[in-house]
Amino acid sequence: MFTLNVVTPEKVLAHRVEVEEVIVPGFRGELNLLPGHAPIMTTLSEGVLRYRLKGESKQIKAAISWGYCEVSPSGIDILAETAEFPEQIDFARVEESLKKVEKELDHISDLDPELIEKYQRKAKRARVRLSLKDK
Amino acid sequence: MPSLKDIRNRIGSVKNTQKITKAMKMVSAAKLKRAQDRITHLRPYALGLLGVIADIAVTKRVVHPLLSSGKDPKKILTVVVTSDRGLCGGFNSSVIREIEKRYAAEKSQYEVYDFIFVGRKVANYFENKKIFGIDKILHVAKDISYGLSNEIAEKLMAAYQHGEYDEIRLTYNEFKSAIQQNVITEKLLPVDVNESGFVKTNSSQFSEDLIFEPEPTEIIDELLNKHFAVQIYRILSESVAAEHGARMTAMENATNNAGDMIRSMTLTYNKLRQAAITKELIEISSGAEALN
Repeated sequence: MFTLNVVTPEKVLAHRVEVEEVIVPGFRGELNLLPGHAPIMTTLSEGVLRYRLKGESKQIKAAISWGYCEVSPSGIDILAETAEFPEQIDFARVEESLKKVEKELDHISDLDPELIEKYQRKAKRARVRLSLKDK
Repeated sequence: MPSLKDIRNRIGSVKNTQKITKAMKMVSAAKLKRAQDRITHLRPYALGLLGVIADIAVTKRVVHPLLSSGKDPKKILTVVVTSDRGLCGGFNSSVIREIEKRYAAEKSQYEVYDFIFVGRKVANYFENKKIFGIDKILHVAKDISYGLSNEIAEKLMAAYQHGEYDEIRLTYNEFKSAIQQNVITEKLLPVDVNESGFVKTNSSQFSEDLIFEPEPTEIIDELLNKHFAVQIYRILSESVAAEHGARMTAMENATNNAGDMIRSMTLTYNKLRQAAITKELIEISSGAEALN
């Protein structure tokens, strides 16, 4: 049994589903996790979480933002700030907010690194969501 | 002695009030359901976070400013959580009573004893008493979201880390059930790893060679921040659920009381009406008698 849990503060996306392969956007790039992976704990960055259910060939995708991933011998626990399946995303709204954020980024006059990072993160989140469109 | 018309009017007005309280009860019941769902959804996440903190605490001894140092706190900040609106029984007044008691008893023991008020009721009450909070947050019940509580959490965290306060407490109504709410004061910062909640989840399946990316000290930093934000969100959600529960019960009682009032007034009304009829009959028959 190699199970996957994906939870966010507002909902539970996957509860103890049996998986064969999970790819997470980890701290140092993408991590491909297979059953028997060494125990690891990493933070997640904005990106696409992909997993394959046991006995199926189709990958399920979800956009996640910042969180934690903990791999133990029995499975994977993912605690994400937000996580959405493609069908839960309102793409029109995301596109709009991306445009807004990019405009903000162009117009930032003072070089406040914290502010820039905040907007860049926002833009990245929007791009990750958009990358799930029509796939 | 009220006239028949007066009583009829009063019955009418009580009936209207009863309709309102009944409607408010229904609304609260629906909202309570949603608030309860939110708490149940949050629980797995909160437990997951606790588990991760416990795992890190087990694998390596981490020293962190947010973890309890065992020193006696000098500067206290209390966040008081109530509702914006009334008509919810003892929901607000029990919190206010608790805070007044603590304020009177503990004010002199600490250098700084500040408040942040959440909800209009408590803010107004203490402003009338010339106790001003350093901040107040309104409209929580209307748009409670993780984002909002995150903002609050960041603000509190910043104040704590700048050394403005060395202990942060929250006073709120814990949601037990629709008819029972308990006022609770909880210490949120510094985080006490030895507390029961952490020890319970310590059935960790990790050994010390757990791989960390990035370093555990960095993870725990973010993690404790996160834990704090989630706790705030949980407490706000609990308070909102408790508010709706309290209002539902209060409105249920009000509806019943209105029913009782209507019943007793209808009785008086009928008695008066019958008395008037009897009186008229007597007048007519005695008038007829006099003619004979």
